[in-house]
Amino acid sequence: MSDVFRRIEIPIAITIVCTLLQIIPFYVNIQPLASTADTFRSWMILVATCATFVGAISLTLYNVKAIQRRSEDWYYSILVIVFMLAILLFGLPIPEAGLGDQNPQFSFLFVNILTPLGSTMYSIIAFFITSAAYRTFRARNIEAAIVLVSGILMICKNAPVMTTFWGPFVDIGDWIFDVPNMATMRAVIIGTALGAIALAVRTLMGMERGYLRGGGEE
Amino acid sequence: MSIMEKIQNIDRRWIYLLAWVAVLSPLLNPLGLPVTIGRDSTRYYNYITDVPDGSTIMVTFDYGISAMPELYPLTIATFHQLWSRDFKVVVIATWNQGPMVMDVVLGELNPAVRYGKVYGEDWIELGWVPQSETGMAALGTDIWGTKPVDYIENRQTSSFPIMQNIKTAEDIDLLISFETGTPGLPEWVRQWNVPYGTPIIMGCIGVMVPEVAPYLQTGQLGALIPGLTASAEYELLLKRPALAIAGVDAISMSHLLIIVLVIIGNIAYFMTRGKGGS
Repeated sequence: MSDVFRRIEIPIAITIVCTLLQIIPFYVNIQPLASTADTFRSWMILVATCATFVGAISLTLYNVKAIQRRSEDWYYSILVIVFMLAILLFGLPIPEAGLGDQNPQFSFLFVNILTPLGSTMYSIIAFFITSAAYRTFRARNIEAAIVLVSGILMICKNAPVMTTFWGPFVDIGDWIFDVPNMATMRAVIIGTALGAIALAVRTLMGMERGYLRGGGEE
Repeated sequence: MSIMEKIQNIDRRWIYLLAWVAVLSPLLNPLGLPVTIGRDSTRYYNYITDVPDGSTIMVTFDYGISAMPELYPLTIATFHQLWSRDFKVVVIATWNQGPMVMDVVLGELNPAVRYGKVYGEDWIELGWVPQSETGMAALGTDIWGTKPVDYIENRQTSSFPIMQNIKTAEDIDLLISFETGTPGLPEWVRQWNVPYGTPIIMGCIGVMVPEVAPYLQTGQLGALIPGLTASAEYELLLKRPALAIAGVDAISMSHLLIIVLVIIGNIAYFMTRGKGGS
């Protein structure tokens, strides 16, 4: 009996049913199908919410193992676990016990640790971009020169000090944005969409099995 | 190694130092450089201005803490414009840190005191909608069912006066999204704009702008604030210079630094190219 449930056709059949259930109501208005599709979407949200706990458990296990094995930089794992537990404890949605997002300790951790860390991680990109621009923006050939000039003009358009110095930087930047950029991005979006359709068709036909047991072609 | 070759191979830490000085110095000593108001910020401002009083506007936080330096000033400015008018505002998030960012917004703006807005009547926060595009689709079909309780008071969504006539995406007159990536505009367009015709305007980080530009041209996106510079222009349109204006000098100086470095790098490259340099 257990072999029946291990058959690969079962998850493929579930995938096909779920996919068709979402696609058909988009094109055809059949009320029972539409409400079933709504129910399935609600189930998916519940499943995803439960997966949050899987993430927390997985993170804990990974870091506990790192501490046990004294892996490289293992002491950072202690910080991860301590802060995860602290945020979890103070953020528990039990306002009667003084916990939750209005808890002062939770707010302190969020405002004074999480926010500056997140902002720093994002802002540090500015240093990498400056260094990368210096090293790679070289007019080595015609194509590179076009990219270089376009990039510089867009930088000028986005820097108020430059647009104030010479107003037409705005118009030139807008033209680059509206014409070459728009055309290229449309091609990228349409190409991606065609690829997604091809992937969906392969999945519906049971030919795409990358999401099953680690993958593998038919 | 000649000077020009040394310039080309300069230690990146010197460049980091220059970038640090270029960003920090105008923050400590604002230069007060003039800001030219462009078409993007004007379109965004006018779009909200033209929405009739009494309309229902959904604001979605499609970003987390890391994007706050760039998007938070725009978020604050937009809520200022929304709460200065007679709109019904529904706040959600498709990124799980979105509600935390909204907590910071509430701490700064305090809508009850500054704008006289009553929670549950004039605005409501429904919290995080998980599962990205699927969540957006579910929300569009059934807002009460997808978010059965609100985020702030943990009460039944259907029990609030503001929510009595807000049940599906068809009841939303405008969607305003602040975002840094996926899920974001393409998903909103697929799940809300195409099936329900919900108008969408957005603000995003600078690197996302080329990706969302085609939606602006097709009209599926009504207006776009591309990054901090346009946010500063928007603050000026609101006659409320604040965080974005403060950051514009730093943007100008850092951009200027990049231009100067690129020019120096290319001069050094061309001077060494014929001599077997890098």
